[in-house]
Amino acid sequence: MATTTAAITLTSDLMSDSISVSASSTLMKAGTTADGLDQMDYGVIEIPTGDQYDLICSTPTASKATKLYVKNHSIDETRYVSIMIDAQDIGRLYGGDWMFIPADFHDANADVEITSNGGTNKIEYALLHEGTTLVAS
Amino acid sequence: MATTTATITLSSTDLLSDELALTTTCTLTKTTTSTGIEDTTGLNRKKITSTAKGTTSGQITLYTADDFAAIPYLYIKNLETTVGNRIFIYDDTTSGDPIQFQLDAGDWAFIPMHGDKTYKAYATTNPTSMEFMVMGQDQ
Repeated sequence: MATTTAAITLTSDLMSDSISVSASSTLMKAGTTADGLDQMDYGVIEIPTGDQYDLICSTPTASKATKLYVKNHSIDETRYVSIMIDAQDIGRLYGGDWMFIPADFHDANADVEITSNGGTNKIEYALLHEGTTLVAS
Repeated sequence: MATTTATITLSSTDLLSDELALTTTCTLTKTTTSTGIEDTTGLNRKKITSTAKGTTSGQITLYTADDFAAIPYLYIKNLETTVGNRIFIYDDTTSGDPIQFQLDAGDWAFIPMHGDKTYKAYATTNPTSMEFMVMGQDQ
């Protein structure tokens, strides 16, 4: 079993007292605390502005555990990418932003779609999962 | 100007042949600028008592549409320890209330969302504890 952990730290001086929030989770397969996610798709890709593209087209198996990480490496804060899963808006990442969610791939068509706005954006992504439906050639 | 940062670390020593050690930090800024955000809901801890979307009570509203300008950054964690006690985050503005993502026990998420939508949470179990915080720019 592979053991993979995801941790976040949020810090801020927005309030009178400092904010320092930390959370960590071990990435497990669905329905268990004994077996970790053991597959990963990882890549870095430039997304040209305009069309919507499938960032990940090998659909993760519905009802299985899946974690999605995406970072927009653009240094231009006016550029952004829109992230959709199964044609539903999920998030919008401006230059420098990242996201991490336990994604909900609730049916066989739920792939990850991305659209670049304002110019080309370089994207880093990782999908940690326990199985995908491979696309036949 | 306030400085707010979010750092993620993905790590594993046995998923790949080489060690996975991915760390990245972003500074949360007002949309399309390099100026730091100035507003937050603060950290909330609440119990969800609704087991379905569309019910009249028991869901938790995480964010109300247009409360912040453009991008609300959402941090949320499922505080339960029993596997299968899931929290579902859904878009209450769009027709059909589509689910955005789901958190099993112990899971957390961080995502810049759409500022013009209302986001709510329900769970598989009544009650389910969670914590969340929204950061952004009030308008």
